[in-house]
Amino acid sequence: MRKTFVSVLVLLLAAVLVLTACGGTGNTTAESNTNNSTATNNNPSAVAEDEPVTIIIANGKGELTALYEQAAKDFMTENPNITVEVHTGAVGDSLSVLDRLTSSGVVVTLAMVEPNGVLEKYKDFGIDLSGERWVEETNDAIKNAEGTIVGFPFSIEGFGLVYNKQVVENAVGGSFDPFSINTRDKLIALFDQLQASGVQYPVAYQTEGWSVSNHYSSQFLNQAEDPNSIVNQLKAGTFDLASNEVWNGYYDTMDLLASEQYNKYGERPIGQYYDDAHVSVGKGESAILFNGNWAFDSLQAVAGDSFGFIPVPVDNNPDNPLNNKIVAGPTNIYIINKDATPAQQEAAKKYLNWLVYDEVGQDWLVNKAQVISAFKNNPHKVTNPLGAAIAVAIAQGKTMPFSTNYIVPGDWFSILGPEVQQYIDKRKSREDLAQAIQSYYTSN
Amino acid sequence: MKRLGNQLFFTGPTMIFFSIALLIPFVYGFYLTLMKMATPVSPMEYAGVENYLRAIRDNKFWDSMWLTIKYVGATIVLVNVTGFALAYLVTSGLRKQNFFRTAFFTPNLIGGLVLGYIWQFIFVRSLPTLGEKLGVELFRLGWLGDANLAFWALVIVTVWQSAGYMMIIFIAGLISIPRDVIEASTIDGANSWQRLTRMTIPLMVPAFVITVFLSLKNAFMVYDLNFALTGGGPYDSTKMVSMHVVQKAFIENNYGVGQAEAIILFVIVAVVTGVQVYYSKKMEVSG
Amino acid sequence: MADRRNAFIIITYSLLIAALFIFLFPFLLLIVNSFKDNGQILENPFSLPTSLSIGHFVDVIEKMNFLVTFKNSVLITVVSVVLISLFSAMAAYYMVRVATRFNKTFFAILVASMIIPFQSIMIPLIYIYGAQLKMIEMAPIPLLIALYVGFGSAFSVFIYHGFIKSIPLELEEASLIDGCTRKQTFFKVVMPMLMPTSVTIAILNVLWIWNDYLLPSLVLTKEHYYTMPIKMKVFNGTYMNNWELLIPAILMTVLPVLIAYLFGQRYIIRGVMQGAIK
Repeated sequence: MRKTFVSVLVLLLAAVLVLTACGGTGNTTAESNTNNSTATNNNPSAVAEDEPVTIIIANGKGELTALYEQAAKDFMTENPNITVEVHTGAVGDSLSVLDRLTSSGVVVTLAMVEPNGVLEKYKDFGIDLSGERWVEETNDAIKNAEGTIVGFPFSIEGFGLVYNKQVVENAVGGSFDPFSINTRDKLIALFDQLQASGVQYPVAYQTEGWSVSNHYSSQFLNQAEDPNSIVNQLKAGTFDLASNEVWNGYYDTMDLLASEQYNKYGERPIGQYYDDAHVSVGKGESAILFNGNWAFDSLQAVAGDSFGFIPVPVDNNPDNPLNNKIVAGPTNIYIINKDATPAQQEAAKKYLNWLVYDEVGQDWLVNKAQVISAFKNNPHKVTNPLGAAIAVAIAQGKTMPFSTNYIVPGDWFSILGPEVQQYIDKRKSREDLAQAIQSYYTSN
Repeated sequence: MKRLGNQLFFTGPTMIFFSIALLIPFVYGFYLTLMKMATPVSPMEYAGVENYLRAIRDNKFWDSMWLTIKYVGATIVLVNVTGFALAYLVTSGLRKQNFFRTAFFTPNLIGGLVLGYIWQFIFVRSLPTLGEKLGVELFRLGWLGDANLAFWALVIVTVWQSAGYMMIIFIAGLISIPRDVIEASTIDGANSWQRLTRMTIPLMVPAFVITVFLSLKNAFMVYDLNFALTGGGPYDSTKMVSMHVVQKAFIENNYGVGQAEAIILFVIVAVVTGVQVYYSKKMEVSG
Repeated sequence: MADRRNAFIIITYSLLIAALFIFLFPFLLLIVNSFKDNGQILENPFSLPTSLSIGHFVDVIEKMNFLVTFKNSVLITVVSVVLISLFSAMAAYYMVRVATRFNKTFFAILVASMIIPFQSIMIPLIYIYGAQLKMIEMAPIPLLIALYVGFGSAFSVFIYHGFIKSIPLELEEASLIDGCTRKQTFFKVVMPMLMPTSVTIAILNVLWIWNDYLLPSLVLTKEHYYTMPIKMKVFNGTYMNNWELLIPAILMTVLPVLIAYLFGQRYIIRGVMQGAIK
């Protein structure tokens, strides 16, 4: 009896010891990390050049998994002392690779995050990059709240109404200028023309949560010169969505896109239609869907036809700039971890420079990965028609800021995505939706 | 002394691994709920019961809990009824019954994740094609886009997967019923339905205790299937409690609240399974 | 009477065949569509393939890094299952034969722990072994195996415990009197008798570990450590609407277990039965 009591006690004690040991190590690691980083900031130059070093890159955009690995290989051939370990997130995986790696104790050297993440979630993550050579080749370097450049723009992306050129030209009888659709009525007229030409459902509206919230529902922020000013008003509770014309205008257009009359999925507008929508528009059974340049990967799987972007009209005023522009801007921002070793940081900087200046890197970025480069010195042009359409729009000044960069995409996706979907499914009124967005801002 | 040596030799490894995997994290989990912590690497701060208060006020947590309870109820009934029916059919003395038994068990070999993908293909691509070709209105539109149908899709897939497993347990129970008991009732003039309800089922209570416990526990903890088949959609209407906790902790970066919700889940599961086992053991004794 | 008997047989058979169709048609659908390309799949998932090209399988083997992924899954599953069976048998044996209060308490704790949902351990697990001890970074596979051994022990000890209780003491007593130590007795006399139960336990644990997704997805962060389900998840994300690759990938994830089942189905079914009776 006594013996068993003692042994239980010993077991408990052992457990407690392990627990306290855990707590103890926790504190010391945290401290040693901060020590490291201050040391790093003090003497970044004290790095031997050819010491072998391994860097860990956490990428977003799972579509490019194989390509990232190719880039790492090419880079390593040219820099034999650097080993690059690439991690890529899966498409639609809401848990980012960076978070997953960090929470499991890995110190990621170079991380790809959303532009908003540089300002919010990862605001203490990156090192100062303002001294880098590539800064002068781009207008899209990302600054932190203090105005220091910390983010490297990996790509330019945009979204709007993707259309199948062949189908639309067949319907309008001749060449078609997507920017001629600059009012909602003109969009309706186009839908009707398409139907008259035999396309039963002109729109295949895929209503994935991220698309209807992060992309579609952030567009109204572009009504101000600086979208942040509206975000600030929302936070202060002084912006009334329900009475805002632009905000309502976008949902009037959304109602049209999701309507039973024009939408292939109008009878049950919410569902898993991503692949079906792209197949339909790719094959020309429908003509239009709402998505970004990355949609080409899916469209291409079924058809090599050519595609372009129509601006999303918000009202019937042809002079409203919102009706005449598509959304485009820097996305996928690389930041370098301040907790990485100085040697790793240098190697990561080399990798970024490789993407901007090295011929192989330039070729990889634009020709292989079909990414629109944010850097003026890159001589290549993407051949992917949706990317090309964005590049042309940028050159002609027909773009407005990538509105998603002004929201917290993770929150919007998980908190507001379901709300917008419920609106589309007519389970929530527009007032409810306005209320939901406003209270998201005021309650945080 | 020698006894201590043997004790350590025989039970030591299990004790160590059990402590590593379960005991320490479980005890530590309670401690974590008292801490304010966004991510595992962020500094901890004592917060008292704040995490529990926030968990209790988290409406979405209770929505997902309520949904899970509905799912638990639906799957327990359907999995056990289907499993029992299959067991009854394959033990009715026909030829080829081993073949049927083997076939019905097959879905158990598939893990929840792949299971979800397979059935996504069925619900999103195959059934609508079928509905259109045969004019079946119920199938024409994808099930996963409707909150109600998506829930039933989860239930159907669960039944499809686990009925075979329960069937095996029922078969074990059925073949252990002494023949003379059944024969005696046949002589008494009972028809087959009466035999089933008055003799067989009461004798099967021990098997039901196991199958109900297993389906209860599996249903409360469902994650992989939920994640892969509906992803919680449409609009979070099928997000069950495990998925909610995973998102709370790892996506919304709210470790403290996520862990508090996980502990509440544990308490609920413990109480429900405890009550179930207690009452069914009682039934077993009296029946 | 004979008519009723016949009617009963016909009804039973039709019910069984209908059920058979429902239980097997997803597999048929997979096999049929694995030979088709996207166009054919989207056009009509029920149509038969026009050719039996294995091109997509070859593609998938390469894109999934199949050999490495498969090897990881086999390694993790086999090592975990062997360790679980061995350690649980040892512990259960000792707890049955030396029923001290400590052993009784430990057994009760083990059994009670079976109702702990994984979700309530998952967060501290990542916290302790990831953020604090850095095991997830440094030794993910040994860590994962250790966790499986720990999680599997409760159920396995429980089953062994039930079985060992039913073994008569005489044999062991004879061997103990012959001068064997308890260890020798266990390995030479008891272990062989436990063989059928060990097969049961191994099978149930293989099914669980081979298919598990959530735990490995939290522990294995590097691509070259991925197991089949994680790779499948990544694959699904990368080739989202590309069913012509996804279906062969699903099939290849399921196939190893299906083949094992074809050969060992008798043991598997018997195993589940024994597991239930305790």
